[in-house]
Amino acid sequence: MMQNRRKEKPLLGIGEAAAMLHVSIDTLRRWDRSGKLKAVRRSERGNRYYRREELELFLQNAFALARTWAQSGIPPQLPSHYYCEVHPRFQSRLEKMGLYMMQREKLPDVAPLIVAVAGEIGNNSFDHNLGSWPDVPGVFFGYDINKRIIVLADRGQGIRATLQRVRPDISTDTDALTIAFTEYVSGRAPERRGNGLKFVREVAETYGLGVELQSGNAVMRISNRRGGLESDIAPHYIRGTLAKITF
Amino acid sequence: MRIALRKFGKILISRPQGREAFAAIRPSLDLSEPAVEIDFDGIISLSPSWADEFFSALRNIYGERVKFLPSDNLSVAATLRVLRESEAASRNL
Repeated sequence: MMQNRRKEKPLLGIGEAAAMLHVSIDTLRRWDRSGKLKAVRRSERGNRYYRREELELFLQNAFALARTWAQSGIPPQLPSHYYCEVHPRFQSRLEKMGLYMMQREKLPDVAPLIVAVAGEIGNNSFDHNLGSWPDVPGVFFGYDINKRIIVLADRGQGIRATLQRVRPDISTDTDALTIAFTEYVSGRAPERRGNGLKFVREVAETYGLGVELQSGNAVMRISNRRGGLESDIAPHYIRGTLAKITF
Repeated sequence: MRIALRKFGKILISRPQGREAFAAIRPSLDLSEPAVEIDFDGIISLSPSWADEFFSALRNIYGERVKFLPSDNLSVAATLRVLRESEAASRNL
């Protein structure tokens, strides 16, 4: 994901849009006429253009949509099947995902781990922002079991702000993420907390899940390679968090 | 005494729900029980947030008398391991 540093244009021509959706240009023209996917503006010559956001929505590219939602100053409206405004909705969608995964062959053994990892990341968003959501509350939660990917995002205060309440010495997002994944420190001291991301890291390293989590301008990647934590700088700042789990 | 966690749900993940689960069971706890066995059968997933709340409260009452029954569920094993590490870390502070 982070390899593509090319600046992404917000508006695409019809050829680019067709390539992104893997359909023909004629198909896009047809969809524009029928209203299935309307072009948003035309030049005087009648060229069709498409907003990248809408194409991603159409593609149900959960990760790109979550990223757009998390990093935009004014976030787009999310489709309701991705948005969990309050925790009970997240819990019930997580259960639905868990039950579905248990029925799939090749998944039942690791499904409990995947559900627990997604649950811990999603719960962190609610636990650490309750009563303090800067703007849009809740989480983005999308998954595609066929593509073996789960995406979670929030527009909360972010991991650095949360940890600085108890560790004012933390000055960078990278430090904050490193501490979050390696130390048992709570962002809600004196309450006992701070297990979730240690658990995520251990499970990911032990069972070969891919986990990528961004907060601020830092991204932490966990893989099952030895010494599995890698940090990187993200191309776009996200105040809250954005996570991708692959399995 | 045996506590079947599946009675609290299949996906035991949220910290507030762990607290609530203990609050629900508290009135029926007999403080003189020689052992409290935790039965993990029938749950899909357990995570440290729920487990920390529930088992810490249970341990406050029963201490070493809390016993975990064996489970094949990988999330149970991983959760209990992380909780042990967390306890060890807080003892070292």
